[in-house]
Amino acid sequence: MRLGRRAFLGAALAAGAAAAGHGCAEAPRWERRAVRQPARSRVAILPAGSYDGDLVETVLRGLRLFALPLAGKQIVLKPNFVEHDPNGVVNTHPALVAAAIEAFRRAGVRQVVVAEGPGHYRDTEHLLTATGLHAVLREHRTRYVDLNNDDARPLRLASHYTKLAHLYLPETLLEADLLVSMPKLKTHHWAGVTLSLKNMFGCLPGAIYGWPKNVLHWAGIHESIVDINSTLPVPRFAIVDGIVGMEGNGPIQGDARRCGALVFGDDPVAVDATAARLMTIDPRKIRHLAEAGRFLGNVAEERIDQLGEPIDRLRQDFRVLPRFHGLKSFA
Amino acid sequence: MTRLVAEYLVAGQNGDGGWGAQQGRASSTEVTALATLALARLDTPATRRGATHGLRWLAARQHDDGGWPVSARVDDSSWATALAVLALEALGREPARAVRGARWLLRRLPRAPGAAVSLLHRFAPSTLAVRLNPHLKGWAWTADAASFVEPTCYALLALRRLRRHLPGAAAEERIDEAERMVYDRMCRDGGWNYGNSTVLGAELWPYADVTALALLALADHPQREANQQSLSALRGMLRHVDSGLSLAWATLCFSAYGEDPLPWRGRLTERYARTGFLGESRAVALALLALTGGAEVFRA
Repeated sequence: MRLGRRAFLGAALAAGAAAAGHGCAEAPRWERRAVRQPARSRVAILPAGSYDGDLVETVLRGLRLFALPLAGKQIVLKPNFVEHDPNGVVNTHPALVAAAIEAFRRAGVRQVVVAEGPGHYRDTEHLLTATGLHAVLREHRTRYVDLNNDDARPLRLASHYTKLAHLYLPETLLEADLLVSMPKLKTHHWAGVTLSLKNMFGCLPGAIYGWPKNVLHWAGIHESIVDINSTLPVPRFAIVDGIVGMEGNGPIQGDARRCGALVFGDDPVAVDATAARLMTIDPRKIRHLAEAGRFLGNVAEERIDQLGEPIDRLRQDFRVLPRFHGLKSFA
Repeated sequence: MTRLVAEYLVAGQNGDGGWGAQQGRASSTEVTALATLALARLDTPATRRGATHGLRWLAARQHDDGGWPVSARVDDSSWATALAVLALEALGREPARAVRGARWLLRRLPRAPGAAVSLLHRFAPSTLAVRLNPHLKGWAWTADAASFVEPTCYALLALRRLRRHLPGAAAEERIDEAERMVYDRMCRDGGWNYGNSTVLGAELWPYADVTALALLALADHPQREANQQSLSALRGMLRHVDSGLSLAWATLCFSAYGEDPLPWRGRLTERYARTGFLGESRAVALALLALTGGAEVFRA
């Protein structure tokens, strides 16, 4: 692996990079096969007040809005499980994972697998049992794949924001008919936000990329996010857990922020743009979203058909670190 | 329990002689090294056969540069080299391969900090996003990345066993600097996580498995305050952490520090009966080591 030279340690450097708003512009850095941007995208925001309600119905309603061809398909749910903090809201709530398993089954899929490659923990048994995800998997008789240790194969990059030549991607994902990114609605102390695109960091095997996937930080976080998402050759769907999100010093040590929403969509870029707007963050100023909005999906509000609730009805003013105050201005 | 986990490992050995993260997965250097070490501690025809095949798998996967990849599907030599070296050396087989692997480890350097980070660390360290000394070299997970705790600890454990075969001053300096790097990354109240104690001014918490591993790697200094503080932190973590991986590393760690491992082995046994460690071969292999006095494998 040969990498770019982006340093990440210096606060000043990181702040400068984050505040730049864009920086990977100019000539296209993607190959033709990477282009997935539709003329218009649809994103649904459905209200969900708590994790105790009928989440299966809500998820089913979200899926029906997109008329996905699910019958007989193999689905991989990729939630965001990073660490266990008994007092925090770090991870996608297991109740939502349970609801998604059930909803996809009712929609007629052949198999649902839950897969994740936690970015910090290597102790998967502890993470799964302590967070309650293991109980969900057992109750719903669902297979879990630790993507950190999955068999992987190298794929040539479809875009070239990093200097990486290829990415090793897990066989479990490459064999899936649909990969469902299920992030938590969170701010992120390096990337500004962490949503369905950033959640794909967890697809890369830690056995090859490390814990954390430091090599991707050096290659550039925003750049890596774009390259991973352009290169993953699997149809995508996203369900964002915005029932309770995280504001401030995310993705680990931020504070809980209730938003009461689930965000659905088959264009993950548009989903993330909408989720950012729900946090009162301008997605055009998130570098990976701005770049992904050039060829992977839609960021511009006028190109996104809003289903369900309007953004304004559920929008919350998520607190961000001082270095990201610029993201809160929609000028 | 010993028989059960040994049988699990024997049954999970791949046709090529290695072990994967779970039964049926492609063989990996890390799990194969640990499973081989573990099975070699028993003296039955099945375990002897398993260990012999594991050693063959390891020997066949060494690269010309002396290192090992994480698995046969990946080209680059990797952090897992340290575990392969440890296995070959501890079992007294293939000594020349072990020394070549150790020399690869000595050549393997983490990414150096850039000029801006160096300047900030020297003149305004509080402005760095991550509180650490970026100049202390340990080992990284991958080429061109920074040092992290776990790969550094594996390298320390391997190199200490091989030090008599290595160029004296260079090896000693590298070991000494890597130990300082590990101490530098310790969390405020003891213990270690993947490698950052503080990010953006916020203290991060330690993990039980990494703490036990780091204490094993630093076992030459049992009386140091940091070691004692971290042993205490580990006991605290284990009030809430009950996984096979963490309990296995902790049992090995406490044994290395002269504590009675029996209570920990009891918890390990109970946990295996309850969860089977979710089928994680690495945890099963480490548990077998923990149940058979395997801490000596990690001693110089």
